[in-house]
Amino acid sequence: MKEFSVNIQEYIESGKLELFLLGELNEREREEVIAMAKAHPEIQQELDSLEEAMFSLDELTGVEPSLQTKEKIFATLDGDLQERKIPTPTAAPKETKTVKMTPWKPFAVAASLVAVLASAAAIYFAGKFYETDQKFVALQQEQAVLADNLNQVKQEFEQTDSRLDRLVAGDFRRIEMMGESFDMQKDAKVDVFWDQSQQEVFIAVNRLNSLSASFDYQLWAIGPEGPVGIGIVDPSQPFSLQQMSAVAEAGAFAITIEPKGGSESPTLEKLVVLGEVA
Amino acid sequence: MEEKELIQGLLERDRKTVEYLYEKYSRALFGVILRIISDRDLAEEVFHDAFVKITQKIDSYDESKGRLYTWMANICRNSAIDKLRSKEISQSSKTNTIDDFVYGLEGGAQTQEKVDGIGVKDLMNQLNTDQKFIIEYIYFQGYTHSEIAEEFDIPLGTVKSRLRAALQVLKKNIERI
Repeated sequence: MKEFSVNIQEYIESGKLELFLLGELNEREREEVIAMAKAHPEIQQELDSLEEAMFSLDELTGVEPSLQTKEKIFATLDGDLQERKIPTPTAAPKETKTVKMTPWKPFAVAASLVAVLASAAAIYFAGKFYETDQKFVALQQEQAVLADNLNQVKQEFEQTDSRLDRLVAGDFRRIEMMGESFDMQKDAKVDVFWDQSQQEVFIAVNRLNSLSASFDYQLWAIGPEGPVGIGIVDPSQPFSLQQMSAVAEAGAFAITIEPKGGSESPTLEKLVVLGEVA
Repeated sequence: MEEKELIQGLLERDRKTVEYLYEKYSRALFGVILRIISDRDLAEEVFHDAFVKITQKIDSYDESKGRLYTWMANICRNSAIDKLRSKEISQSSKTNTIDDFVYGLEGGAQTQEKVDGIGVKDLMNQLNTDQKFIIEYIYFQGYTHSEIAEEFDIPLGTVKSRLRAALQVLKKNIERI
């Protein structure tokens, strides 16, 4: 759990209770649901009503097993079952109270008139309620989907935000890698951001053509021990930061086109961009 | 019969209570199995084993961990899924779609089933495409939510919220039947 105080409604909406009933949660999650239901009557109530609904749904979609199966079951169980020794106490039949009524015609007529009017009103409002209720369910679903989308966007934002934090806080230098001096893509441009003390490397694609499915762009750090592959570059996400593997020593960075998944050493004929560390 | 009384009777292996349990729950529990295993004979066999297991393993039922029906339905569901996997029936031929299922019910010989089949169809038609999809795979084909997320590349959170939305719609509509 992210926070200690969980919003109960959020918890109910999360879909966890449904999975609990379907037996799909692991032991830790099960215990959490049980504890939550114990602590919050609203959750217990929701759980009960969901169980009731699942039973109704099963019963509605269900079919009676065959008589043979029933007989077989009770034959299998036969040795196990017994007649109860202590009979269950049967409740004493309750006396029905009768109250004498004086037949009072005019009042009866008036009363039935009121009853008719009230029923008519009830039917009318029931209809209204049904309509509103339908709309409400539809809105609830829409809300659940929106909340879900929001969550995803939030996660993406947090990721980006934390990368940005590191970029601002760290001691990054920017190395521009250009394609001008090579034949592959003259206008290609990719920036490397390198924090040498923290050994962190990010790249941001500025311009890079897309590749066919059987090739990847691979980033190389060229240090005293020759080029080291430090990650695959995704050209489809321009201007967003992509984190690469750690590098402590490099005199230059370069990108080559390699077979899908990258290579051990760079294919120099397919050098796309190069940037020297100033 | 109250749930407490029912459980007490089951613990005592009381024949009357087991008969009561059968009358009240066999239809729904068999429904759980039949949704996953479309072969009627095989489903009857699984139901036999599951019901016997329920009666004999009642000692291991823990009231604090959920209600009786949920426990029983999970035993049936798991037995059905285990049987399917042991028979190595591929996911694609696991069972039919909702439509086939409903159609199967409608084609059934008994009038009772016919009427119910139409009820189910109406019920399922209340769902939108996404919800129908989730219910189909989780409820009728025995997928877990994480299997759906993986296989169809739907975020786990989305599977959960669609499952919830679908059950809310079904719940609302069941109350009206």
